[in-house]
Amino acid sequence: MENVLNKEIKTIIDACPEVGRILDEYGIGCVPCSVGSCLLKDVVGIHNLDPQQEATLMYRIEKAIYPDRKVSEPVIDTTKKSAPKKITYSPSVRKLVDEHVLIKRLLALIPTIVDYIESSIKVDKDLVLKCVDFIRTYADKYHHMKEEDILFRYVDEKADIIQVMYKDHDTGRGYIRLVVEGAEKGDKALIKENMLAYRELLTQHIKKEDEILYPWIDRQLSTTQVGEMFRKCNEADASVGEELPKKYEKFICDLEEKFLQEVAK
Amino acid sequence: MSGCPGSRTIDFSEKTDLEGSETGKRPSQLRQWPIQMHLVSPQAPYFQGKDILLAADCTAFSLGDFHKDYLKGKSIGIACPKLDSDQEVYTEKIRALIDDAKINTLTVMIMQVPCCFGLAQIAKEGAEKASRKIPVKQVVVGLEGNILSEEWI
Repeated sequence: MENVLNKEIKTIIDACPEVGRILDEYGIGCVPCSVGSCLLKDVVGIHNLDPQQEATLMYRIEKAIYPDRKVSEPVIDTTKKSAPKKITYSPSVRKLVDEHVLIKRLLALIPTIVDYIESSIKVDKDLVLKCVDFIRTYADKYHHMKEEDILFRYVDEKADIIQVMYKDHDTGRGYIRLVVEGAEKGDKALIKENMLAYRELLTQHIKKEDEILYPWIDRQLSTTQVGEMFRKCNEADASVGEELPKKYEKFICDLEEKFLQEVAK
Repeated sequence: MSGCPGSRTIDFSEKTDLEGSETGKRPSQLRQWPIQMHLVSPQAPYFQGKDILLAADCTAFSLGDFHKDYLKGKSIGIACPKLDSDQEVYTEKIRALIDDAKINTLTVMIMQVPCCFGLAQIAKEGAEKASRKIPVKQVVVGLEGNILSEEWI
């Protein structure tokens, strides 16, 4: 089993899809991951399951991979701290989670926006580019840059989960470049395909961050680092000014208002 | 079992769950004097830019590993929100610690009894009066020395 623990999760799931289904039962969504280079031992460790759950999960995985092997009953490591009942965040991480809420409000509107564009005679280029501006400035520059320049620096940036986050950010930027190309060419299909792809990517990305990555980083931070990160994030926010988040919150409110009216028509 | 939970008599001398290692000597992690909130000065060098622990008096006696797990690396102020007088002084000192001593973080450690939450309230008021903002954590200790909760507030 030691050998399997050090294998990449994608390799394990490809060879034994049942492992993917078992992980899914425990809220570990590795199956749709675009990279899958995390080692099984890290995948399990990062989710901070309680000792009973972790022992049972490992027992089931071993049984799935080696059905003919006599696998001993789960051994519970009672010295491990149990997972907290609810997720709590340090203040800077809490703010990043709160910023996700505004981003998710745009993601929720994307299917309606795409339908609107598809049914319009001419592509509403201004609308598309305003959405792109929100994504590039608020989601990417304001939010993702704090992750990349501050938060991720507190953990091993070479860790697979961090590499997955970087890859998601890059993939998202690629989708948005194609959305812009679609807007410039008046290509509705290109806009639709890439806005929906961006929505799917970011929805999963935010879920991973809120539920797995951020709590994992928080668990590793010392009190001193929490204070230091708080100061750095405040400085980063101050450098863009108070008006920027307000401007984009208003943009989302206006967009919701507009599309509420569209739906009501 | 009625009356104030803060002064109710409870005897857990029969407690059998006494796991842990008693070998070796643990050094004190205290790096300053004084420590009582009426006696400390926010201008003291040991507060400047530091992580501060504001501990209710009883917490250090309840937690077996108080020094190792919570005091280590921090400067401290202690107080009793039930018995101490002139507690508005505490609020002002916390404000001064944040604004003037530019402390990095504030961890408030209290007992689970209701009167102890007054210390968390004092910390909150001091932090609200400060113009600087810092992370504030609340740690609640159970009567038998267990950690009931630990979260940034």
